[in-house]
Amino acid sequence: MSVLSAMLLGLAMGAIFGMALEKGRVCEGGVIVCQMQMSRHAMLKMFLSAVITGLIVLSVMVGFGLAKLSPKATLFAADIVGGAILGVGIVIAGACPGTVLAQIGTGYKDAIFTFIGGLFGALAFTYMEPNILKPVLTSGAYGKLTLDQLLGLPFPAVALSFAAILIGLLVWLEKVSPWREEIGPNADGVPAESPPKGAMPAKA
Amino acid sequence: MFSLTSRAWSPYTAGIVVGLLQIPAFYFIGTALGTSSSYVTISANLAAFVDPSISQIKYAANHMSGAKNWWQVALIAGIVLGAFISSRLSGTPRWGASPFWAKAMGAHTPARRYMMAFLGGFIMVLGARIADGCTSGHGVSGIAQLAIGSFIAVTAMFGAGIITANLIYKRV
Repeated sequence: MSVLSAMLLGLAMGAIFGMALEKGRVCEGGVIVCQMQMSRHAMLKMFLSAVITGLIVLSVMVGFGLAKLSPKATLFAADIVGGAILGVGIVIAGACPGTVLAQIGTGYKDAIFTFIGGLFGALAFTYMEPNILKPVLTSGAYGKLTLDQLLGLPFPAVALSFAAILIGLLVWLEKVSPWREEIGPNADGVPAESPPKGAMPAKA
Repeated sequence: MFSLTSRAWSPYTAGIVVGLLQIPAFYFIGTALGTSSSYVTISANLAAFVDPSISQIKYAANHMSGAKNWWQVALIAGIVLGAFISSRLSGTPRWGASPFWAKAMGAHTPARRYMMAFLGGFIMVLGARIADGCTSGHGVSGIAQLAIGSFIAVTAMFGAGIITANLIYKRV
């Protein structure tokens, strides 16, 4: 595929991605931080829904030979260290590398600073990668390890079973904590100040 | 359910839409959905104006050109566009910083929030590049491919995120 047609496809896919991030309200720093405080779960619900859909879609595509999976290599040290640094950054920024762009689209000014910070972070990595970071990046490298390989079972069987478990988790999570209440009255993850006067007491 | 003028979709609907994007990603581009490597494509190409020798670094060179890299740059540009359209259609445009930050941090000025945003962005993408993926690449796409490295990275991300969020912010 030529660079231009790949970019046109990327732009169209990104527009759909951005709409979903905005409508799912993960474009709100409050939604991200409250998820990390484990007080509200709108982000986890959307995240797991995307994972479940991916598991099903990829099972079908792999089953019919329409896609070749490209799992990332297992780099034990890099995955733990990098993942942890990523988690700290997400909480300070109130955004992920993808959702920050949805924040920019909705108009949040701070998100522009987050994005520029991200560009400098990528640049810092690029300059440090060949020397300083090499030991972290290469220790505990196990290649492209996947759960289905470890279990010695076909990808669709493991993926669909795992999807079923995650669906069960979401059904439970929604029962405990309904999504409409988590989003808040202004859809920004900030809950109502206090119950309106004369409101019916919440059902136990 | 898919109304573009509603302020919010259920997180399930929104997540399913994101998951379905794996179909064109795998079929046409031969890769999974991801966003954080485009930061390398953009920053390395910009840095090349000041420091042309950056293209001698193999990691930079691998990200500076090619359909896959520029597909992802277009993808993140599309995210801005999609969120802009969506927020205008539903009447939820935003400005400044979210009122959430004043509640979570107490004393709060825009300048302080902008500095935090920059710092957070720097740490976030640095970590994502060390781990070779972010919430989308490792999270949404890696776990959907049952990659062990992605299970590890996502566990570390949520673990460190949960500790940090409970240490530095008030409960809102």
